[in-house]
Amino acid sequence: MKKRVGIPRALLYYKFMALWTTFFEELGAEVIISPETDKTIKDLAVSFAPDEDCYSTKLFFGHFLYLKDKVDYFFIPRFGSDHEFNVGCPKFLGLAHVLNSLFPDFPKIIMPYYSQAKANHGKRRILRIIFEIGFKFSYNPIKILKAGIRAFKAQAEYENQLYITEQQLKKWIKSKIFLNGKPNLENREKPLKIALVGHRYVLNDELSNLSIRERLLQAGVDIITSIQMPRSLIESQMEKLDFNMYFSDEREILGTILYFLENNIIDGILQLAIFSCGPDSIILELASRYSRRQPETPLLQLVLDELTSEIGFSTRIEAFIDMIDRRN
Amino acid sequence: MIPKKPTRKTSELGSRHSPEFVCTPFKLTLGTFIEMLDMGADELGIGGGNMYCRFGLYWPVQKLILEDLGYDFKFYPIPIYDKPLNIVKSIQAVSKDLTVWEAIKAFRMTWIKTRYIELVDKLHFKYRTLELEKRQADRLTKETHRKIVEMKGLGNLRRYGKQIPELFAKTIEIDKEKQRNTIRIGVCGEIYVALEPTLNLDVHRKLNELGVITENTVSFGMLIDFGRKINPFTTLHYQKARKVAKPYIGQRCGGEAQENIGDIILYKRKKWDGLVHLYPFTCMPEIITRSIAPQVSKEYDMPFLSLVIDEHTGEAGYQTRLEAFVDLLHIKKEKIAARKNN
Repeated sequence: MKKRVGIPRALLYYKFMALWTTFFEELGAEVIISPETDKTIKDLAVSFAPDEDCYSTKLFFGHFLYLKDKVDYFFIPRFGSDHEFNVGCPKFLGLAHVLNSLFPDFPKIIMPYYSQAKANHGKRRILRIIFEIGFKFSYNPIKILKAGIRAFKAQAEYENQLYITEQQLKKWIKSKIFLNGKPNLENREKPLKIALVGHRYVLNDELSNLSIRERLLQAGVDIITSIQMPRSLIESQMEKLDFNMYFSDEREILGTILYFLENNIIDGILQLAIFSCGPDSIILELASRYSRRQPETPLLQLVLDELTSEIGFSTRIEAFIDMIDRRN
Repeated sequence: MIPKKPTRKTSELGSRHSPEFVCTPFKLTLGTFIEMLDMGADELGIGGGNMYCRFGLYWPVQKLILEDLGYDFKFYPIPIYDKPLNIVKSIQAVSKDLTVWEAIKAFRMTWIKTRYIELVDKLHFKYRTLELEKRQADRLTKETHRKIVEMKGLGNLRRYGKQIPELFAKTIEIDKEKQRNTIRIGVCGEIYVALEPTLNLDVHRKLNELGVITENTVSFGMLIDFGRKINPFTTLHYQKARKVAKPYIGQRCGGEAQENIGDIILYKRKKWDGLVHLYPFTCMPEIITRSIAPQVSKEYDMPFLSLVIDEHTGEAGYQTRLEAFVDLLHIKKEKIAARKNN
């Protein structure tokens, strides 16, 4: 029988899904990914997770608990950073240990530790991780190595497809292409252009962002997300700052916001943040202060948590869109 | 310029201009900066650098906030989690006309002074509980603190530092009977909250007044004491703590998460009675500690009390929890003693 590996569909999954799924599938394991967040998972999350964690981490607990009877192993890496000195959220590092100590009787958690910035890990460490995990599933070293190589190829391909080029961005601004589906143009002639900015695990999770993409498309808005933004633009934007923004996810968010604030080429920016997210508390303030200095492009910041009401949320977005319409 | 001691007003001032759910140290440091700029400071310094905590990003945000408030100043971030030489270089850059050697000397003076101030604090928290004549320890501590800060020359400082334990033992008369039966509690947690009396509502005084000997398990010296850090023959407390915490939390993840978990085990071995863990609201690394700690504390049978601190923490509620915790420890100790006698 195939060994089953469970991966919760939350947090880092949205960044490394291609890498992880390909790797385990190539190893001959059955990959079980929890379904899209729904009411059951949310209820599990809210009742079992530590009350001070951020909403997304709570949802991670929900996905984890949902999978507990369906798998032989959990895969929750302790991921620190994949950059020379920029790091990720400390929660990503601690989560596996927290789950291990809170639920000691659950299936074993595979938790490789990788951090380039703090522990100076490099390619050798990756190779070691690949073999350490690989020997749990197969005794054939060539197969394991192949799985590793294919996984990284798949991840590179996925990222290539995800990130648009600067030419594509220019085309999008001239309304030649749509990047995220066709907006509903019943009530307006020309679609509004809005940048949707936030963490990957917020923008891709329908439940935690209250299906924002669908809402915006229905309102006739053509969206671009911070996830898709060309990396070169973000990096050049971050170099203009007089400090180093060392949270790598936040670089993406702040870079996108600053780029659009500076160039004033779209109608508005919509930033989604998660309540009690540490880095977000800094980014929200920075973004709002910068936007006050360059007020041409309007910026709306919304903070989400498990208690956010759908009606209040949609009212704000409608008001934002109305405001943009009046400005034009 | 030496900053004013933060007060309740400082934290209110800071919170008024701070982002919504940022952690408490941010608010207090911002409040302090505003007060200092009002007093006429024109250069501000704070720690920076890359880490898992958001502390390194305090200064860009605070800079923007203070600029919006209309202040004119210069900000000097000093990377704290860096190589020793780089820290010296950034100190040198701030001071403009110091040579590297002078900067190293100044920095060494700082950490040695920190070492003695921590020693004084440790003695203070012990003697305050045991003293027969009240307020004696407070007075002596204030005096020694002032002397250490003003002392010039390394030799003088070292000579004076050696006398400190003796000085305390001579000046303060202690209750010998009490010394045998007192409960001992370590105070751990996020470093700023654990060490700043305004923020933690002076947890040491409260515990001392309940008849408990306390000690800080985290120290500022841990960050800057490179004299001990480079010395290959000593293992510092925090290094031991990190080592024993490995099975529960395998790597450092910002804050003092790993050290605090290790302290549970180390202080149990030292036969202390309990630990109080303090952390600011929404602190990311300490939430990890808080989630792991109950299991570790169960395994080692070491009482552990976690308290969240922010500017709204009520004094009465806080006091009640500490009292309840101390009562529980007393009961536990009596039970163990009774079992031994039988």
